[in-house]
This record gives sequence, structure tokens and C-alpha cells, in this order.
Amino acid sequence: MFTQIEKLGSSFIGRIEELGRFGLFLYSVILGVFSRPFGFRELVKQIAFIGARSMPIILLSGLFTGMVLAIQFYAALVDFGAVDRMGGAVAQSIIQELGPVMTALMVIARVGSATCAEIAIMRSEQQFDALTCMAISPYRYVMAPRLLAAIVSIPLLTAIYNLVGIFGGYVVGVFLKDLSGTAFMQTVIDTISWSDLRMSVVKSFLFAILIIWIAMGKGFFVHLEKGVSGAEAVGRVTTKAVVASAISMLFVDYIASSFLI
Amino acid sequence: MSFDCTEYLQYTVLHLTGEVDLSNSSKVRSCLLEILDQGKSVIVDFSTLTYIDSSGMATLVEGLNIANKNNLSLFIAAANGAPLQVIELTRLNQVFTLVNAVEDIKE
Amino acid sequence: MTQKTAKTNTKSLIEVNQLDSAYGDRQVLNDINLSVNEGEILVIMGGSGSGKSTLLKNMLGLMPPSAGEILFDGLNICDANRSQLSKLRRSMGVAFQGGALLSSMSVGDNIKLPLRQHTDLDENTISIMSRLKLELMNLADYEDLMPSELSGGMLKRAGLARAVIMDPKILFFDEPSAGLDPVTSVELDQLILQLRTAMNMTIIVVTHELESAFTIADRIAVLFDGELVITGTVDEIKACTDSRVINLINRTPRDIQLDADQYLSRLTKGAE
Repeated sequence: MFTQIEKLGSSFIGRIEELGRFGLFLYSVILGVFSRPFGFRELVKQIAFIGARSMPIILLSGLFTGMVLAIQFYAALVDFGAVDRMGGAVAQSIIQELGPVMTALMVIARVGSATCAEIAIMRSEQQFDALTCMAISPYRYVMAPRLLAAIVSIPLLTAIYNLVGIFGGYVVGVFLKDLSGTAFMQTVIDTISWSDLRMSVVKSFLFAILIIWIAMGKGFFVHLEKGVSGAEAVGRVTTKAVVASAISMLFVDYIASSFLI
Repeated sequence: MSFDCTEYLQYTVLHLTGEVDLSNSSKVRSCLLEILDQGKSVIVDFSTLTYIDSSGMATLVEGLNIANKNNLSLFIAAANGAPLQVIELTRLNQVFTLVNAVEDIKE
Repeated sequence: MTQKTAKTNTKSLIEVNQLDSAYGDRQVLNDINLSVNEGEILVIMGGSGSGKSTLLKNMLGLMPPSAGEILFDGLNICDANRSQLSKLRRSMGVAFQGGALLSSMSVGDNIKLPLRQHTDLDENTISIMSRLKLELMNLADYEDLMPSELSGGMLKRAGLARAVIMDPKILFFDEPSAGLDPVTSVELDQLILQLRTAMNMTIIVVTHELESAFTIADRIAVLFDGELVITGTVDEIKACTDSRVINLINRTPRDIQLDADQYLSRLTKGAE
């Protein structure tokens, strides 16, 4: 019986240690953002990777989500005779909730996994040790550009997702359900307020930090994973990073929604 | 590290004294490029040079390349000790014309 | 376990004093005392599990010791501040086992990295310097390739080129010969000797290859199970009477006594 308690205790302590490590890690990365010389080249590369190359899936998922949402809202509102409010409902759902969350999920799938794996492999090949021994801070040179790139790209991707989603709703409303285009857009404008947009921006900003922080952190500490090494360890931390980012993101989404609604 | 230039026949002689390394090789570079820019051939005098690192040698290689392109010459005179070993290690003794003393150059 | 140090009258550049190192509860190094003289080639030898990688990590400041100190020219790296450590590191080069090149840039850019980060040298100078080093390593044609396109041996040499690009005073080399064919290994040994002579580099090599060690070392430090068994010249090592050292030199397999009954029961454990 005592071994069970011991295990529980040490697992709990392990979690706390991990939280501490991650906290210090984020602190070091933020310091790295403000250190000179800053890795501009890497920043641009990362914005291209995180932002520009995520565009296709953002456009596609935004479009389809908006279309599905419109179909759903139409079906729900038609019984209340309130289909003229569909535009606003679709827009508000996307801007407040689906835009930030879906963008975050797409980015986690694409960028979170790739970044975690990349950082984990760098760790396994002693590239961080090499940088440290060359008096180049890995936080400044490798991590900080990625953090900044995420903070710049992900809110922008969210905004694009929002636009495309509303457009998807428009397409369904006007071409499938014979609603008036101008009426649709009018309800959108009437319903959406600055606090909705603020929620979208705040959420996407928080999600950006969360996603890149967890992805890099899990990869950076891959050598501390017990019981595995090499390729298996890289695979394991990547999976953990994706799952942890998704769940933390949804949790933060809930908190943000309660505070900002 | 210090350096100065004197004239010998139609060459400018660049005397290097002390140690040429990362901290000062760019000064040598500016001087060397300026001399070549003026269309003068160069003899680099190693007699009072105690140490030269690869940034210094890279500077001389760049100089040699520019010299060759402009039909000028670049010689290294009186290489000895550690600088000579560096030249041999990097196999630059086959690229540069090495002479024992500045006065050995007659034309 | 007497430690015999060769008599030298040159300056001691690196000193390791009473070093203990542990991973959590597991003690890996015990009371290591070592000094490295300026201009010498010191080889740290030991089998797997002897603690030599841990010793290297401690000396590079990549992990803190649990006790003891490591001095570089009088500076204790364990409590040096960031700028002191940074300055020291810029005069040191480290060649890692797999090369440890950054995978996102070409071989050439990798080698130029320290120069671009720490100096204001002109790009032309940097370019020629990196090519000089690549030529030295026989990697001249590989400048524009990515690390993923290189073989293990080439990666190692590229890592060495990067380690020496700034003509450091101190070079650390982790397992130079591991995974190399005998010819390349000999060439690398010669290169190490030339670097020391031409650049007056102090070189610390961690290896388990005997041939290499005997060829290049001024002194050898032998580690066994986290303890420094002997430090001495090649001749002193060969004359050492400690059985572990003799076994290491003669490459005798460890004699594991066999208990027939236990052996049989191990083989047949869990059988019906």
C-alpha cells in the first residue's frame, strides 16, 4: 500500500517540478526576446512557417466551419422565425469562440508537433550544448524568434479564419438559403461589438503563447523523459505536447470566455 | 600589434609587429586593401610578427586575390616560427610566394 | 588508487579540484583531481559508464558539480558570472560526438556561426576563414550542403572545423574516432597534433580508443567507475600495475566467474 502512496507522491512532485521547469523556461525565452543580437532571420523564417504556410488549412477549415455553422443556425433559428438574425449569430460564434479555438487546433496540429519534434531532435543531437559552449544563448537564438513569430502569426491567422468563416456563412445563407446578402451583412455589423473582437484577439494571443511554449518546452526537456530515448522519446514528447497544448488551450478558452463575455 | 608601411623599389612594405588576431586583423585588412586600391604591389614583412591567426591569414588571402585580379603582386617575407607553421598547416605556402627577406626581391 | 601526475614545468591552464558529480541520487564522479597544462594534449580515457562524458560536461560548464571546483586560468566556472563565462567560452572550442551542427543551416553557415555572432569581421574574411578550416578537414566541396546530407565522419569533421574556427586556446574533443574508419581516424589524430603545434592549442580529448590515445597524448587520465585511477604519460600508463589499467591496455575481457547452477537457472527461468 505504501508503494502506491509513494508512487502517487513522487508523480505529484514530478508534475510540480515540471511546472517549475516550464515556468523558468518561459522566463528564459522571454528574456531571450530582449537580448541582443536578436535572431531576425530566424524570426522571418518562423513567421513564414507558422503563419504563411498555415494559410491553406486556415482558409479551408474556416470556410467549412462557417458553412456548417450557418446550416446549423438556420435549422435552429427557422423555428423561431428568426433566420434574419443568422448572420450575426454565425459571426459572433466564430469571432468569440470558433475562430480562436479552431485556429489554435490547426496550428497545434501543424506547428506544435513539428516544432516540438524539431526542438527535441536538436536536444538529442547536443545542438543546444553546442550553442551554449559557443556562448550563444539557445533561448535568444532558437526559442525567442519562435515565440515572437507565434505571437505575431497566430492572432493574424485567427483574424483571417474569422473573415473566411463569416464568408462561409454568407455563402450558405445567400446561395443556399436564399437570404438577402445585405441583410446578412447588416446583422453581422449590428451584432458584433468591440468586446467580441477583443475577446478574439486576447484569446488568440494567449493561445499563441501557450502553444509555442508547450511545444518548445516539451522538446527542450526530452532528455528528461524517463524510460525512453532517441526516436521513441521524440515521438512521445511530440504527442504529449500536442495533447497538453490542446487541453490547456481549451481550459484557457473557458477562463477567457467567462471573464470577457 | 602594430604595423607600418615603408617603400621599397616599387612595392609598399607592410611591416607587421606582434600578434595579429581577431581583435585587430580588420585594421590590417583596411590598410592592405587601401594599398592595393592605390595600385601598388605589396610585400608583407613577417620578421617582427610573433603570431598570426586565421583571420589574419584570411585577410592576406583576400589581398592576394585582389592583387592577382589587378595584375599586382603580394609577397610574404621573413615568415618564421609560429606564423610559418600556420602557413604550412593551412598549405598556404603553396599559394603565396614566400621570400626570406624583403631585400631578396630584386625587381 | 594512487594518482601519479607527470612532472611538467608549464603553466596549469585548467584545474579540476575534488570534483564530485551526481545525477540526482546516483553518484557518477568521485573526488576527481586533474590539471591540464598549457599546450598539452590530455586524453581522458575510460570504458562506458566510467563517467568520462559526465566529467566533460562538468568541465564545459554544462552541468554543475555536486562538490568541488573547476578553474580555468584561475576563474572558477561554477560561480562565474554570465559575461565571464561568455568570454571564456569564446576562447574555447568544443567538437561534439555527432558534430552537433544546427540542422537548419548549411555546413558553411554552421562553421561561420561563431564568427558572425561574436566578431565584426568582414564577410569576405569570414568566408575565407571558414573555407580554410574546411580545406583542413578535407570538406571543401561540402560547404553548401545541409548537415542531413553528410555522413557521420564528415559531420564530425565539420563539427571540428566549427570548434576551431576562432583559433581557440583550448579545444575539447568528444570521441573523435568513434565511428570513423581507421584511415580517417589516423588522419584526424595527425590533425590534432598539428593543431597543437601550429596554434599552441591546449587539447582535451575524451576517447576510449587506445591507438589514438597513445598516438596523440602527452598525458592520459584513466577513469574507472567515476574515479581517476591514474594520470600520467603514455609510458607511465603502460607501466602501471593497477589491474584495471592493465586490462584496459591489453583489452582483456572482464573475467566474469560463472556459477553453473545460477547460470542454468537464469537460462531456464519461467519455463514450464
